[in-house]
Parts: sequence; structure tokens; C-alpha cells
Amino acid sequence: MSRDEVKIGVYICHCGGNISDRVDVAMVAEEAGKLPDVVISRTCMFMCADPGQELIAGDIERHGLNRIVVASCSPSLHETTFRSAVVRGGLNPFLYEHVNVREQVSWVHASGRDATAKATTLVRAAIARVRHHEPLSPIKVGASSRALVVGGGVAGLRAALDLAGFGLPVSLIEKSPKLGGRVEGLGTVFPAGESGAELIRTLVEQVSAADEITVLTRTHVTGATGYVGNFSVTVSRDTGNSSAIETEIKAGAVVVATGSTPYRPVEGEFGFVRFPEVVTLPDFLRILDQARSGGALTVNGRSIRRVAFIHCVGSRQIEGIHEPKPDCSLNLNCSRVCCTATLKAGSDLIERFPGTYVYDFYRDIRTYGRGHEEIYERASADGVVFLRYEVGAPPQVTEAAPGDAGSMLVTVRDSLTAGMEIEVAVDLVVLAVGMEPAEVGALAQTLKFPSGADGFLQEVHPKLRPVELAVAGVVLAGTCQSPRDIEESCASASAAAVKVAGLLTRGYVELEPFVARVSAERCEGAGACVSQCEYEGALKVVEAEVDGQTVRKAVVNGALCTGCGACVAVCPTRAIDISGWTLDEFEAMVDAICADPMEVAGD
Amino acid sequence: MKTDRILILASAACAYPGADAVGQAHLSYPANTFVLRVPSPVVFPESFYYDSFEKGIGGIIVMSCGVECPYEGAYEKLAARLDRVALGLREREINPRRLKLTSICTVCTKSFLKEVTDMNKVLAAEGVAA
Repeated sequence: MSRDEVKIGVYICHCGGNISDRVDVAMVAEEAGKLPDVVISRTCMFMCADPGQELIAGDIERHGLNRIVVASCSPSLHETTFRSAVVRGGLNPFLYEHVNVREQVSWVHASGRDATAKATTLVRAAIARVRHHEPLSPIKVGASSRALVVGGGVAGLRAALDLAGFGLPVSLIEKSPKLGGRVEGLGTVFPAGESGAELIRTLVEQVSAADEITVLTRTHVTGATGYVGNFSVTVSRDTGNSSAIETEIKAGAVVVATGSTPYRPVEGEFGFVRFPEVVTLPDFLRILDQARSGGALTVNGRSIRRVAFIHCVGSRQIEGIHEPKPDCSLNLNCSRVCCTATLKAGSDLIERFPGTYVYDFYRDIRTYGRGHEEIYERASADGVVFLRYEVGAPPQVTEAAPGDAGSMLVTVRDSLTAGMEIEVAVDLVVLAVGMEPAEVGALAQTLKFPSGADGFLQEVHPKLRPVELAVAGVVLAGTCQSPRDIEESCASASAAAVKVAGLLTRGYVELEPFVARVSAERCEGAGACVSQCEYEGALKVVEAEVDGQTVRKAVVNGALCTGCGACVAVCPTRAIDISGWTLDEFEAMVDAICADPMEVAGD
Repeated sequence: MKTDRILILASAACAYPGADAVGQAHLSYPANTFVLRVPSPVVFPESFYYDSFEKGIGGIIVMSCGVECPYEGAYEKLAARLDRVALGLREREINPRRLKLTSICTVCTKSFLKEVTDMNKVLAAEGVAA
């Protein structure tokens, strides 16, 4: 395509205010529209939404555009989206350039003037670059159809079964000696009240019966290499006699279902450890599950008639109020499931052990899910007594005096009774502890899994790519991503399985075509490029006949080239480049960045 | 003409997501920074750096994946090249501190901010204030 045929469309996204609250998007579009070859320059409230994408596709057809630039959020979120829109307009997807004016402009620069100036310059640089783009085709690479599921709790079991349902071979590894995770010990589970143990037994039976699924218990990941379609994961299996067997699993995709762990209160927190009858909610559910109904519940040989439940222990912590962990972190998040689980436990206790008094000390009640509010109403109807505390004045657990009705006193300034100080004598205190991310281990370290500030693994986008990690081919299932209940864990596991099936059922994956290419005209066969290449067979110099003369030329094997560019930097004649990332493109961007006088004040 | 513009050559696998993480955390840094996403900064020949300074770029921060670079041997080649560029800059009477090689991972938000701050200090000392 000759230079004078270039027709560029430029689109600046408001991102619903995320960008336009700081960047004057109309001004950026106006400035872009003044540049040579820019045929259309528009703004749009949400470029990623259907109307935005259709705008691109329609403009390509209406105006004969052959290059597209979109300034929006990070390319990790929507580069693929806009390439697809470009394809729908009839263009090659790589005649597209993405500008990140959200994560790297509007979210990091306080001054609207500076942000607008920078966005204008970045768009100018993208326009300079996109002129050099050429049509490219993705490289198809054969993919393993096997999926690896890491973690054999309820989410891992659900994901493995769904993957097997697609006919895919599955390796399911679990570090403990048995499948099932934490659900088995929860007794009956909300909202329907079925047995957690029964639920797990059913899933494990189905997994065992599925020919597609290979289960490895006592097994953990020790390392991983590769990329989407072709991961190689090394696992170590404890044989039970102080030795381990290392195995390599070749998998096209990985489902991470490593779960979470309950928060462990520090010694003295609400009397934990100091009083043996202060227990966590998971421990209490296990006690309740194993107890025979009727009479009084017995804990540590003591008859339990009065029980206090305290909410938000290790959740919704606030700096300056709560004690940070040794690594100085706090659990800022709500753990979501503990309110409903606590209320259900209170009701179960009263219904199974009539005559037991239950006192519920809460900050807020968050029974958010379908059927959860009914559990709150049931607790009220069962006679659970609610007392509300403020975050700065949590309940105090102290030793009761002889003659008190229980062994411990829980004292609270109850905001439901205008801040009245109330003392309740109890036999047992149950701490509704939050969820913390479990250790993911070597898999996360070697494949570089991103996690949020809360330590849970972080998806690419909570709505647009809710179960995918930024590492292509790795998806998330269950509470490794965030606190959630069993229902939500299973939903995310099924979603993860569908994502993996979409990747692996084709038998191949498409990799971006950004590999080295050689200009036969410029190449003089010096071979400097070959000396820099670390990948066996990716690059070599061959002899060829040109105009009756034998000449030496470098040739690239695109399937073996990784596109690192080490060869590019050393070519004396600039004969080699990375497709889609050429030196000409980078130089054009630097020219554009330096071109306009910049008036930027520091933030 | 020297400007206060800082060119950040950010590896696509590590440093670019790291720069995104700074934005996701809504941390702030000066707007004289221009991040170019590259598969690996090893792609740039020595002339690219000299030419960029010649064109007016004030400082260049090469943000690589460091020893965790997904491309075999690329980081070592890059580091050796930038050592040579530093010598070349001295010969051209350009302060070599205007070029910095660093490793930035996907969550290295504080390191990212520190590098930008440090480069702005270098430019300020050169009489180019951000």
C-alpha cells in the first residue's frame, strides 16, 4: 500500500468519565483530526461497547479507512476487542494501533491540562506508528488438549467435571491426601441446606467415574514453563514414605482453583487462645456437624447454653483500628459469606439444641445472595438476639465472675439501644472469621500470576474477562480469586471450564505474528543476527541464487522465533525487524513525541 | 534541543503491566513520561538511543523484565549494550545518567514511581525541570 493511500480513523474513548473526567477528549480528537491522512477523528462514551465497535466497523466501510487508532484503556483489556471490530469492518486486525490513555494518563495525572497534552502526544505518536503497519496473519501452533486443574476443592472438582464433559482430558491435582477441600467440614450449607459432605461425595464420585480425568492427590506444582496451548508443569507427588515423584504434565491451559484459608485470629483477639471456648466459625461448624442433636451442645466437656457470635473478625479491617499482620497488611475486604454462614449456624444451633441462647454481635448484616435474606429472617424468628457494634468499639471478651451464667462475658456498646453498654454471659464465643488467599506457590511464582492488593489472584477485568488471568491460558475458579460462597465458586468454575474448552477444543492456538522477518533486498548475509539468536533453528543464513549470483541471506523460521528482537539490534544494514514492532515504527513514535512543544508541569 | 520528555521503553510482559498497575492504584507521577510498549528492549540498537537524545528526548528509562525476561539471554545482551551506550554518551558529552536500565515487574508500582522521580531529578540537575 503506498503512502498516499493511507486513510486513518481515530477514536478517543470517554470510558464513561474514567478518561474524560481528566482528559479533554474532544480536544484530543480535534488535534488528531488535523494530522495528515486522518479521515475521521471521533469521541465515544464507551468504545468497547457495541455502539463503539460498530462505529469503527461502519466507518471502515463508509470512509474506506485502512488504519485505525483507538485511545482508551490498557491494551491488555481491549486491544483484542478493537482488532475484532477492525476485522468486522473488513480490515486486517493488525492495521490497528492502541493508545493507553486511562491507566497511563487519566488515572495517573492530576492536572487535566497535562493529561490532555500527553494524550494528544500519545495519539499523535500512534498515528505516526500506524502508518507503518502492514497486514499480518496469526501464527497457528498446535495445542495440547489437556487441561490442568490445580486444587481439588469444590471449584476444582466442578471445573474438572465440566472440562471432562467437553471431552477434554483433565489432570486434577490436589496437595492434600483427599479431594473435597473445606466444604466437607461445613455441615449443611446454605442456601438449600444440603450436606456439604454429601455434595463433595457426589462430585468426587462423578470425578472418579470420568475416564477423562486423572486425579493426583498429595501433589503440588514445583515449576511451570510454556505458554497458552503448550504449558509444561512439573508436579511433585508425595508417595507417603518420605519420598516424592516428580512428573511433568503437558497442558494447553491451567485452571487455578487453589482456594482460600480462614483468617486465624491473633492471640487475645476477642479472647482467642486465652479462652479455650473461643473458636472460629469453621471450627464451630465442624463441632456442630459432629454433635448429636438434642439436649445441650457439648464443647470441651462443657455444656453450652449461651453462645455469642462475633462478625467481621479478620474482615473489613481498618488502618489505625485493627492490628496489622507481620507483613503490615490488613484484610480490608468483606469476606461476603460469613454473615449468612453465621446466621445459619445460629439458627441451626437453636433448632438442634432447643433452649440455647444465641447472641449475634455484628457490624453490618450482609445477606446479599439469593435465599440469604430468608436465613436472616429465620434467625430472627428463631430468637437470635442481635447487638450491633461500631468498628471503633468492638465487643470485649473477658473472664466471667463466679456465679455468672457463663464462663465468659461479652461486653458491647450496642448501637441498637442508643449506645447502651450491655454485658452478656456466655459459654462459647464463635468468631466469624474472614477468608484469606491460600498460598498458590510455585505455579504463581514461575508463571507470574498477578494478584490484587488484597492478595487474591486478579482477573483481567471483573466484567469483561472475569475468570481469566493476564497470563494467557490460565483461568481462575473459586475463592482463589475473592471470597465467595459455594454457589458462586461453582459458577466461576463452570465459566473457567468453558473458557478453557473454547481454547483447547480447536486443537491449535493462534499466537500473535510478531516474529522476525528479513528484507531480502537489504540483507547482505553478514550473519550478525544469527550469532545473537538463542533459539535453535529460528534464524539461519542460507545461500541463494539472485540474478545468477550466489548470495547469502538470513531466513527466519516463524514457528521457532519468539520475536525477542535480539537479532534486530545488531544488523548492520537494518535488514531484519520484528513484524508489527519495527524500528521504523518506534522511531516514528519518538519523532512524534519530540515534535510538538510541550507545556507540562509536574503533578 | 533537549526537553524534559522521558521515554520509557517498557517490556510488554513485565514493565508495561507494571505501569498499568500504577494507574490501577491511582498513584500519580509527572506527565512528561511516554511509555512505549516493546516485546523486549533488546530490539533497540545503540543508534536508537543516540538518535532519541539527538531528537530531544531528555531521559530514557529502559524498563525490562530483568533476569526474569521471558526471552533467553535478552536481558544480558540488553545490559551489555547499554553499557556500551553509556560510554558512547560520554564521548558525545551527554550525561550517561540520562539513560537508565532497570527491572520492573507487573506489580512494581513503587519502583516505577521511584525511577520516574529519579530521572526527573537528573533532568532537573541538567536544567530541564519537569
